[in-house]
Amino acid sequence: MTELVYSNSLMAAEGERAIQKLMDLVNSDEEFILAVEGAIATKNDGLFNIIGRWQGEPLTALKAAKMLGEKAMHIIAVGACATHGGFSAAKPNPSGSVGLQTILPDKKVIKLPGCPTHPDWFLGTLASLLMYGEIELDRRDRPLLFYSTTIHDRCPRRTYFNQGIFAKKLGEKTCLFKLGCRGPVTRTDCPTRQWDGYVNWPIGADTPCIGCAQFGFPDQMSPFISFDTTEES
Amino acid sequence: MQNNRIQMIQFEINYTTNEVNNYMRMLYQVGDIYNKNILLNHLWEKVNYLGYLNQLMTTYIPQSQLPQKPSPTVPNITVPNKTFTKEELAKVTGKNGNPAYIAVNGVVYDVTNNAAWAAATHFGLSAGNDLTQEFKSCHPSGQRILDQLSVVGRLVL
Repeated sequence: MTELVYSNSLMAAEGERAIQKLMDLVNSDEEFILAVEGAIATKNDGLFNIIGRWQGEPLTALKAAKMLGEKAMHIIAVGACATHGGFSAAKPNPSGSVGLQTILPDKKVIKLPGCPTHPDWFLGTLASLLMYGEIELDRRDRPLLFYSTTIHDRCPRRTYFNQGIFAKKLGEKTCLFKLGCRGPVTRTDCPTRQWDGYVNWPIGADTPCIGCAQFGFPDQMSPFISFDTTEES
Repeated sequence: MQNNRIQMIQFEINYTTNEVNNYMRMLYQVGDIYNKNILLNHLWEKVNYLGYLNQLMTTYIPQSQLPQKPSPTVPNITVPNKTFTKEELAKVTGKNGNPAYIAVNGVVYDVTNNAAWAAATHFGLSAGNDLTQEFKSCHPSGQRILDQLSVVGRLVL
């Protein structure tokens, strides 16, 4: 159903032979889906992020993203860095890193924020595009299938929040709101899907959500943990 | 069909407005009372015609497309008499057992137990500050959000 043309960690080819696959694709009339991981560095003509070499010259992520993005049938930004800059764009952002949409302002970029993105979120999006040719998105181009509810909405510890029963330190089995849980501002299906082969997730391990799948992560989601916190209600 | 009618009416309105302007200029020029009265009569007619055109226009344009006067929303909040200076506000940061207060548009709100303000921080912003500008830039029509917060007092400068 799919042919994986280029993936730097999964493909057999290396060096210019690997880049050759990308160049062949761009110069052909083949339809393809572009999925990008990582931010695009913009300072010094993008030289902070080189994905390979082509004809002896470094090929920057900036150049490759523009070249492939212009021709791709669908574009998916996978992970926090590709969607909005993520850690790469955290202050003081010396490389001038940005998300893929900034480089391709006129293109529809499907965004799968998350650090990391859940494998289901990516494969589910890809499968939907292959089967239906589209996937329903929210205002910020996230698939509603995975990003429609906040973590707070589905949190198994929601009753503790409603009752005002809050954990004072990590490891307590109540609501982690006072420690700085970002579940109320983060939209994912983590509470029901869970991670590591559907085994557990941060709240289940008694540690607050750090909002890794919210735009602005990590700067806007910090501090990840606070102990000197608000009054008891 | 309907657009054609509306265009025709608009044309008539423009044409009639020009005529009215012309009659008014003529009124300044003529000296005798007889001619003045004739021009005034013409003006009455033309103004009536404009009124008629206006009415015709509203029957052809659906109600939904007419410009609506925005109904003024009066925030129905009672603000307690308590006042805060900037220095006093800066102390209620939600740290070390203090409550977490923020100010927006001169009103001080309690966000201590607001879900979006975990550990008294919200998207890189901290409690204890006047966040009017920040609120405006992220929630431009956000009175609904403010209505859900409990009001503590007023910020005095």
